Amino acid sequence: MLERGKISALQMAFMMNPTILATGLLLVPAITAKTAKQDLWLSPIWASFIGFMIVFVAYRLHRLYPKETMFEYSEQILGKIPGKIVGVILVFYYFHVTGIIVREYGEFVSGTFLHQTPMVVIFSTMIIVSSMAVYGGLEVIGRCSEMIVPVLLVLYLVIFVMLLKDLDTKNFFPMLENGLGSSLKGSVVLQSWFSEFILVSFFFPYLRDQDKGMKWGMISVFSVMFYMVLTNVMSLLLFGKLTASLTYPVMVAARYISIADFLAHLESIVMALWVAGTFIKITVFYYVLVLGTAQWLKLTDFRTIVLPIGFLLILFGIWSAPNLQVLSHFLSTTAAFYLLSIQVGFPVILLIIALIKKKRQQMKGSITG
Amino acid sequence: MDLLSLHLFENEAVLKSTFTDCPDVIFRSFLIGNKTKALLIYTEGLANIEEIDKHVLSPLMQQETTRLPDIQTILEQKLSVSKVKPFTDTKHAVQEISSGNPVMLIDQQLEGITIGLAKWEKRAIEEPIAESVVRGPRDGFTETISVNISLLRRKIKSPNLKMKSLVVGRYSQTQIVYMYIEGIVDPHLLDEVHNRLNRIDIDGVLESGYIEEFIEDDPYSPFPQILNTERPDVAASSLLEGRVVILVDGTPFVLIAPTTLYSLFQASEDYYQRFMIGTLIRWLRYIFLLIALLLPSTYVAILTYHQEMLPTTLLLSMAKSREQVPFPALIEAVIMEITFEAIREAGIRLPKQIGSAISIVGALVIGQAAVSSGLVSAPMVMVVAFTGVASFSIPRYNASTAIRMLRFPMIVAAGTLGLLGIMLGILAIIVHLNTIRSFGVPYLSPMAPMKGEEMKDVLIRAPWWSIKKRPRLTGYSNTNRQPERQKPNPLKGTE
Amino acid sequence: MRRHYGKASLKKIFFLFLILFVFLLAGCWDRREVNDLALIRGAGIDKKQNGKLELTVLLYIPKGSTGSEQGMEGSGGGGAMQTLIRSAQGNTIAEAMSILQEKLPRQIFWSHCEVFIFNEAIAKEGIAEHVDFFIRMPELRERSQLFISKERARKILSLLPPLERDLAEVVRELGEEKIGMTVTTKDFAEMLVSEAGDTAIPWIKILPPIEGQEEKRTIAYITGTAIFKRDKMVGKIDDSLTRGLLWLRDEVKYSTISVTPKGTKGYVSMKLLRANSKIIPKIRNGKWEVVLKAEADDDIMQNTTDLDVTNPKVVKALEHQLNSQLANRVNETLKEVQKDMKADVFGFADAFHREYPEIWKKEKHRWNEIFPKVKVTIASKINIQRQGMQSGHPLISSEKGKAE
Repeated sequence: MLERGKISALQMAFMMNPTILATGLLLVPAITAKTAKQDLWLSPIWASFIGFMIVFVAYRLHRLYPKETMFEYSEQILGKIPGKIVGVILVFYYFHVTGIIVREYGEFVSGTFLHQTPMVVIFSTMIIVSSMAVYGGLEVIGRCSEMIVPVLLVLYLVIFVMLLKDLDTKNFFPMLENGLGSSLKGSVVLQSWFSEFILVSFFFPYLRDQDKGMKWGMISVFSVMFYMVLTNVMSLLLFGKLTASLTYPVMVAARYISIADFLAHLESIVMALWVAGTFIKITVFYYVLVLGTAQWLKLTDFRTIVLPIGFLLILFGIWSAPNLQVLSHFLSTTAAFYLLSIQVGFPVILLIIALIKKKRQQMKGSITG
Repeated sequence: MDLLSLHLFENEAVLKSTFTDCPDVIFRSFLIGNKTKALLIYTEGLANIEEIDKHVLSPLMQQETTRLPDIQTILEQKLSVSKVKPFTDTKHAVQEISSGNPVMLIDQQLEGITIGLAKWEKRAIEEPIAESVVRGPRDGFTETISVNISLLRRKIKSPNLKMKSLVVGRYSQTQIVYMYIEGIVDPHLLDEVHNRLNRIDIDGVLESGYIEEFIEDDPYSPFPQILNTERPDVAASSLLEGRVVILVDGTPFVLIAPTTLYSLFQASEDYYQRFMIGTLIRWLRYIFLLIALLLPSTYVAILTYHQEMLPTTLLLSMAKSREQVPFPALIEAVIMEITFEAIREAGIRLPKQIGSAISIVGALVIGQAAVSSGLVSAPMVMVVAFTGVASFSIPRYNASTAIRMLRFPMIVAAGTLGLLGIMLGILAIIVHLNTIRSFGVPYLSPMAPMKGEEMKDVLIRAPWWSIKKRPRLTGYSNTNRQPERQKPNPLKGTE
Repeated sequence: MRRHYGKASLKKIFFLFLILFVFLLAGCWDRREVNDLALIRGAGIDKKQNGKLELTVLLYIPKGSTGSEQGMEGSGGGGAMQTLIRSAQGNTIAEAMSILQEKLPRQIFWSHCEVFIFNEAIAKEGIAEHVDFFIRMPELRERSQLFISKERARKILSLLPPLERDLAEVVRELGEEKIGMTVTTKDFAEMLVSEAGDTAIPWIKILPPIEGQEEKRTIAYITGTAIFKRDKMVGKIDDSLTRGLLWLRDEVKYSTISVTPKGTKGYVSMKLLRANSKIIPKIRNGKWEVVLKAEADDDIMQNTTDLDVTNPKVVKALEHQLNSQLANRVNETLKEVQKDMKADVFGFADAFHREYPEIWKKEKHRWNEIFPKVKVTIASKINIQRQGMQSGHPLISSEKGKAE
């Protein structure tokens, strides 16, 4: 096996949290508010069903092929050549998606803080730090997230607490003005974030406690949902209808904090914390990309391609969109279907085929036997 | 193997040629019972001459028998010395002589005798200088390995305290002993220590630092992966946790492996004080650690990138104080930090009498003159001073050097990308810390990989009766430290 | 136990990282030293005759002082200029700002700008387009306060307040006291996107200087509120009507009310401890109504009558009087703002939307017709909690008693 390290299911859960939330927290309130209006806090709940489903599908696939990742068992399920083709699609898909994530990170940093710093610099510094972690392998990524993520999650709650006095519960109402429809519609975009939970299928084979994988996967879906709801509630209660028209509501919320005139203007610290979360997100995607590519090429060591892929990711980050408008338009429209089709549709099809195959084998087995 | 010959003069010639131009090696010929030729060889200053005279020379020379003495009778009847050992080859003789033990050769015998009467000037056991405590044992290791071993043996009297000895250094012939407690230590760890120590081939070992660099896991890391201590109590507590203690002759600093990052921030006194105070001090140290690492860089980042973060009044007074400073904040910070480091270094190296002069120069030149001439802003001086104080509160000297060193790249990162740079720097450090291991134990354990039970000794200093388990990664073969339910619970209110 | 050796390449990345930073240092794209910044404390926007707007900024001058000099300066120059006024004209604020930058050797830095003052003339034309700049510009804060002034904003900003550092600080602190309305950029934007979309911003005026003082040595203070129909100013209400507005908006924080109890000549003054109010919308037989439910706790601060304020009966009567006074105030406010200006700054539209989403959807477009006709009933409940440190009869009345 390419990856010799083992992580615990808890570490996986910690890894998945920022992997979904990091970019989600920034953009989700505004995107969902556009369609769901004041019901935006319901949308993550609907969207999380996709997350639960995906973890379940990934786990079932894992049980069928316990020692392999998706890149490997797709060849087993579909046959060699179709499997390879699917592999190519997956590799390019992850190239593209990771590029988009890198771009989102760059857009946020240069849009709110470092206006003049070239995007390449912002990308490459992050990619270099990420590549250090990817080099270390899954174990290092797991341990890093185990250290960083609990701190982030707690600090995020602290931000919420600091804003409590500025929140206005009136903004909740009228609840369900347009029925469930609007919040369901708002959840479509969110589903693409939750569908990223398919990444767990790349970690299941390397779990130390495989039987707990499903449990912790589900828990992390739940915690992601909780934090998204919290974020949406925070934006809604703070900004009301204004939420939809802000680019980064959470960011504005952070800078709205003012306690005793001294603890104010905390957005830079929030940015720094967010960068830590994004680091995990980028690292996780980067790692899956590197591992997948290595598995597809049947390399003996994935470390040799870490830096070249990192370099390509910088380029993909630049190529992925001409500007922020196009990027966020893509994310709130096409991306949902694009991501869902590969991250949900594809694994489900794989699972169905695998189950049919298994049935047939059993039948054959019973006939011959 | 050069075995001893039957003729004394041959042996004498061999040894004399080995010790040519070594006037400190004395060859003393004498006759046993007026008849048999014998030769006593010792190194001046390393052998206890009075004892030799009293217990070796006088009984043998005054012997009346005419019988040819054989080694066994001499050992059994004549030599009233406890530590004697026969040997057969010259190499061994050379080694014994070099390390101070007198050697006796007798004509017509194939065996010689080493007499354990080595004695040289030793430093008395003193209070350790690098790790001083208010409450706690005052003895410290010395330069003599046998004394150090005895100090440890005094702390742990169980026969399970085992040690293995080896000699490293082609010229220095330094004795190295590694100690462990059988039944607690992980046998794999023991193998690993043994292998790594046996790998070493060097001309001389003058301090345990030599050994440390040969056996650590990640030589390119600024963080020390092996703990060193002057205190026997620290070494003993490590032994009880299943670690291995490596003693090197000639230095009071013993090595402890494996080591985790957190043990670098734990002082022995934490465990002797009341646990609440210990916890508080521990947290203070963590905060100071962050300050020592991040304060100058955060100052630079906020002052040059994130001015909005400061409350208006503070920013205005900052702006006031910086108005005449000619340097950018980044350069100012680097200059001041380097100056501070220079003063600190000078303070250590200088003789104690001149040392105080340095502090005057530092206080006057940097504190007063630089600020009033407008070259440096007053807040920067405060930042540097506070950082310095913070870095001194880290109990391990080598850990605080690592932190001080990392401060500079952090300042540069802050000057390039502001808080983003600092965050990336922190992330890089975290990733690096997660990649290193010390003898197979992850450097950040028990934080990552997380182990709830052991966090008791990291986040807080749990009271002794609640630390029931040994650290998992070093002591898993014998996990239980103590039985349950030892929390003091005396009956109350019965008068 | 697993062992990993020889991760030499990791080290390479680490060194690459360090080297990269050194190279990057040459860039330092976004670095700005504090002494290269023009710290803007407040900004004012005026209308010029030629149709352009004039942006005036209040800058802070960091007096060059280090170490020992600082003490001397403090004692010597008490009246030294700490602030600076600069103006520029342009079609938009952004444009004016870049023209302003031409006149400033230091980079304009908005982050500590906490006050925006609009002149009345510009407020009447609409200010949403300017607030757009405030929200879009990343440097600007959502907590900066908005004000409308009768005088030129430039004139107000150029005042030299005797007590605080600069005028922006004065106005900001006054706003934080929350005696009148306080509207931040975020509040304004929120009101603008609310169902009704009508807004209100506090009104400031120059306080006439004390006699013999320099004309400029005074401050501007908040008095009353400017009422906007959407983002266009339609009128102004005075301080006492503002109180009514605050009651309707549930923003009352501090207030002192004096009443003359029946049958006495003096006053009883009471201080508000806490208050909250709630508007409850009702649609009955097609009639739109609003009930204002207000609750408040008061303490007696002064009593110039001969009433015994420890007597529960007296207190009851006082409470009753307070209630009716509150109702009067609110009704007056409603008369001006609801009936005359027809601006829904009370959030009635949102209240109806919350309570009757279906009806609202149908009737939304008619809101402008409905709003002036909405009937408001006031149900207030004011409790007098304590009589202060003085119990029993006040000094005045006991002395009077002796005289008789």
